[in-house]
Amino acid sequence: MIYLPFSSTLAMGTLAVNIVGEIKWNEHCGDYSTLGQAKVIIDDGFASGSVLKDGRFSIPDVEPGTYVLSVVAHDHKFDQVRVDVPKELAADPEIRPYTPGTPLNPPSSVLLPYPIKLIPRVANSYYVPPESFNLLAMFQNPMMLMMVAGAVMMFGLPYITKNLDPELMAEIQQNQARMSSLQNSLQSGDLKSGYIYFSSWCACCSLMIPVAWRR
Amino acid sequence: MRWPWLFIGLAAVARALHESEAGIIDWHKSFIGVPNIASISTAPSFHAQQGRPPAEALLITSTASNVLAALHASDGSIAWRYIYEPDDNIVYYKRNQSTIVSLSGPGGATLRIFECSTGHLLAETRLHKPAEGLLQDPSDFGTAVAFAEGEGDAYVLTNNHVVRRVDAAGDVQWTWMSPDQTALVAYSCLIATPSALYVVGLAKSFASYTLHITALSPTLGTPLVDAHIPSSIATGPTDLLIFTSPPSVVWLENGAAHRVQLEPSLKEKPGKLSGREYVSVVDVGLESSFVGVLPDGSASVISLTESGANLWTFPESGSSDRYTDSVFVGAKDGQGRPYIARVFWSNEWGKASAHVYAPHLAGGLVSGFTFPFQTLSHGTIVHAAVHVAYVKETDLLPYVVLTTSTGTIELWQGDRMQWTREEGLSRVRMAEMIELPERLSEGGQKDRAKEGFVERVLRHAVDAQHLPQYLAHFFTRFATGSYESAASPVLPSEPDTLTRDPFGFRKIIVAATDLGTLYALDSRTGTVLWKKLLSDGSNEDSLHPEPTALVLPAKLFVLRTAAEGGPEVVLVAQRKMANGPVDTVVFHVEAVRGRDKVGKLKEGAILKGEEVIQGAAIESFLVDAQSRFVLFLDQFRQVYIYPNTEDSRSDLASLLPSLHVPLRTGTPGSAQITGHTLQPALGFDGRALAQPSWTTSLSPGESILSIVKRPQDPIASPGRVLGNRTTLYKLLSPHLFAVTSSSSSSCSIRVLDGVKGSVMYHAVLPTGRGESFPGREGSCDVKAIFVENWLVYIYWDPEGTGLGEAKGQRIVSVEFYEGQGPDDKIGSEGLSSFVPDALRVSMFERAFVFPHRVSAITTTRTTFGVTSKDLIVANEADQIQSFPRVLLNPRRTHGKPTAEQQEEMLVPYDPLVPDDPRRIVSHRYRIANVHGIVTSPALLESTSLVFAYGLDLFGSRVAPSKTFDVLSESFNKAQLVLTVAGLAVAIIVAKPAVGRKRLRERWYRP
Repeated sequence: MIYLPFSSTLAMGTLAVNIVGEIKWNEHCGDYSTLGQAKVIIDDGFASGSVLKDGRFSIPDVEPGTYVLSVVAHDHKFDQVRVDVPKELAADPEIRPYTPGTPLNPPSSVLLPYPIKLIPRVANSYYVPPESFNLLAMFQNPMMLMMVAGAVMMFGLPYITKNLDPELMAEIQQNQARMSSLQNSLQSGDLKSGYIYFSSWCACCSLMIPVAWRR
Repeated sequence: MRWPWLFIGLAAVARALHESEAGIIDWHKSFIGVPNIASISTAPSFHAQQGRPPAEALLITSTASNVLAALHASDGSIAWRYIYEPDDNIVYYKRNQSTIVSLSGPGGATLRIFECSTGHLLAETRLHKPAEGLLQDPSDFGTAVAFAEGEGDAYVLTNNHVVRRVDAAGDVQWTWMSPDQTALVAYSCLIATPSALYVVGLAKSFASYTLHITALSPTLGTPLVDAHIPSSIATGPTDLLIFTSPPSVVWLENGAAHRVQLEPSLKEKPGKLSGREYVSVVDVGLESSFVGVLPDGSASVISLTESGANLWTFPESGSSDRYTDSVFVGAKDGQGRPYIARVFWSNEWGKASAHVYAPHLAGGLVSGFTFPFQTLSHGTIVHAAVHVAYVKETDLLPYVVLTTSTGTIELWQGDRMQWTREEGLSRVRMAEMIELPERLSEGGQKDRAKEGFVERVLRHAVDAQHLPQYLAHFFTRFATGSYESAASPVLPSEPDTLTRDPFGFRKIIVAATDLGTLYALDSRTGTVLWKKLLSDGSNEDSLHPEPTALVLPAKLFVLRTAAEGGPEVVLVAQRKMANGPVDTVVFHVEAVRGRDKVGKLKEGAILKGEEVIQGAAIESFLVDAQSRFVLFLDQFRQVYIYPNTEDSRSDLASLLPSLHVPLRTGTPGSAQITGHTLQPALGFDGRALAQPSWTTSLSPGESILSIVKRPQDPIASPGRVLGNRTTLYKLLSPHLFAVTSSSSSSCSIRVLDGVKGSVMYHAVLPTGRGESFPGREGSCDVKAIFVENWLVYIYWDPEGTGLGEAKGQRIVSVEFYEGQGPDDKIGSEGLSSFVPDALRVSMFERAFVFPHRVSAITTTRTTFGVTSKDLIVANEADQIQSFPRVLLNPRRTHGKPTAEQQEEMLVPYDPLVPDDPRRIVSHRYRIANVHGIVTSPALLESTSLVFAYGLDLFGSRVAPSKTFDVLSESFNKAQLVLTVAGLAVAIIVAKPAVGRKRLRERWYRP
């Protein structure tokens, strides 16, 4: 009875394993000086190992259990992995991919190799390019589209009217006459009639656009 | 499901920083911490590459902030630094030409090997579990490192009985454990020679210690011989010194220095070193020399030789009133020749002095110089490191690096200071941002009120001389369009005066450190405006302020703002005397110039404290009434105020019935929170007394971690209008506060009403490790912030074993609203807590997966509270990151939002809070170990200033809803002017044509 607590602590001591792995340098992060001081943690960081100059890391004395392993680096993002440290002696930890925000159980069926290989996924880009003058973006502005349409109408209208029916032509000329009277009324201050003429002119213009389209 | 992310993405893009703005709207300062000078194995030392110029030398040190760092000797910039985990404190470091070996953790649990010049980590090896480490006092006792000759291997002694040989990759070659595990022999030193490795320790005997030496085989680690040296060392390891050339051990026995030479058989007999009597011996880190202090205080340099020792005494080094006790330090030059320096403060000259002794030059040359060390602003010299760079026949011009009691590191060469580092700023405990006065008020608005007509005319006449300048400035500004925008650097109109800029981006950050100093920083650059020492009650008039008591800051309040006639701050501090008693002192400072209000506006460097309570204060807070004052409660819950004026006394009397003070009470294991009301004239001497009115007991075993109070900021809108035109009214009762607590099995967070003690919200959270790890439970790392009606807390959820569960960091966002639903208004802001309606509260709550562990949390603050509040956190990757409120809205919808919800700009719920690098406010800066973030409103409603402190300092500004109140950076004034001009030209050109056309129309009208 007396030896029991002692033997159990001894068992716990021997079961703990070191989780080892390596950062694979790639185009996002080429070497240790690019990465800076970084560490590999399990869970909330109760155990951790520093990344060495050659990319290796080792988290010492991890007891059996299921953990989420992640890399804490200032400028780079890495994938998280699920680590299962088995209770059996001399068995390697099982490594599986893990996506944050998804359930840890059931575990993924994909088994990753051990020692762990971690790949820098992306180097953080903190900045956005300043908004520069962009001609295309300027012409995508609705106001600009209206202005362009107006300019097209201005130059295109004589050609359209040339090919119109004489009847329609007469109607348009009548409208134009109304237009000038609208201008006159505006100048003379008769706003009410001016407004009516203005709205009828607008209606006429909107009528003419489909006509021009058909042609 | 795609579109909301598009929306969020766009929002993020609009907020993020342009690369050109980095370093202009923000600043950061990196620190290494205050050097750990407790032991020679952790203190600063110079590292110079052989054959390289002396300016390329590095100053290597480990610090109290648990950092191993190297500074460039040429300019004091950081060459590299390595930050250790908080529970892995550095106990020992040793370097050779190319590498540094460090031991950290209890008993030296972890070994790390660094490249000296770059700080790259080459190896990390766990030597024993931290739990098996023996906690030592001093912490480096029982640990040692010695380098094996020629090879890159090192011998490492840990836990005072285990010796290992470790190769350059950190792999253990052999291990030797002392067979005597009963800890009768505690080893503390290693001496490596090619023939044997000597492990030197002390064995405990009846009245004193006996020297015990074990010789090991360097290649195999097998014990060669084991010997007790007849000796009697009274005090322990401080009286034991080791030397490598010749290998020998020196100890102090009954006031006499004894020495034994080491050879593999350990048969050498010990002998007295000299006939002199010593009070103590000082290790200066040299291979064959040390300093012995004689009974009269004078210091002897003892240099060991094969046969005996050479003695030499520093002249005029005996104890005296004319100078302080000396700091001794050893150094070696490029050829490995030793130098011993003595640095002290001379009261006679008011300067510091350094004497360097070179035994080999001219038969023992002493080169001395004095230098104008600013003791009034930097405190006393506590450590020095010397680098003898330029050796001439008759003169030495060493670099002297001083560490001071206020955490400053200074490098002096002769009487010139080359650089200084304010490492005390790595110990900021609290900070406040204070608005600067406008430029006019500096000149004295008060004078203007009394101004007569003639003076006024004269003043205008004098001012008129600036008119041409003003006009020129006006026209150039109009023509070039260079307006100040939110993103432009804040440049003061006059660099000498501290005045507010147009947008209020420039503020003073007043920061108190636990080294008894108060700093003022400029919020736009981080430069130190002034630094003041806090007096400990005895040294304020001294010319060389030696601290006799510890002054620990407790609270910092803004007593008067700039608008009220000059900003003033009050620092409440606990003064701990060396012999035990604690007093509560107040330091009252005018913030712009740092003038002391207690010490009658003296410009001196030491602030005088006013003792408010003879004893500890259990609570203090600022009362903002007609006049502003700080209210204190002593241990007997009696009320004290500062400043104790007629106004504040009458204000207090009228306010007493409405003040409710919740206090931590109870005993350890059964913590309570007790609400108190203040009753007049019940205490001693007619003081008001706090009487308990309610008590809320926490669960048995729970202890209070923190009390989170709501900031008294303006609230722009009392409700939230929903898409269907109903309103949810925010719960704004002024007395709500949050409490986080921990027990061995769970953590919890509560929201309580401070008047009645009602529990408005209670959540029980799992502990950090969960229950599956016996022995590691009970770590509650709950970070909470409570503003308006919004409570946010972040914790680690370890429950990942069940199906569908996942462990990870969680953030919970809770919003409290009045009544049972929309349009149910109870008017909580002005409602008494005793009305039954006050408990009719509804809440929305939502948990998210958070990407990081956080060390500090706050929200942005703006002038009127209109701008939405972003969450700002400091995360484990040394970043300051902001999270938009819209993502943490607990009313985020499940599935596609309806038209009404779209109108409210609700986005669908996603469990994961995205970790967007463009929201990292500190971008490429590494801001390490942040433990506090202060936010403060700018004059612009859109913008909030951010200041983060920890090991590093960081300042920036953020605009959670974009800078809606200033023209955007991309606004092109030239384009606007050109367009208007173009239109004007078009009108002028077209006017005659239109006129002609109109005329023709009149003529040819049908």
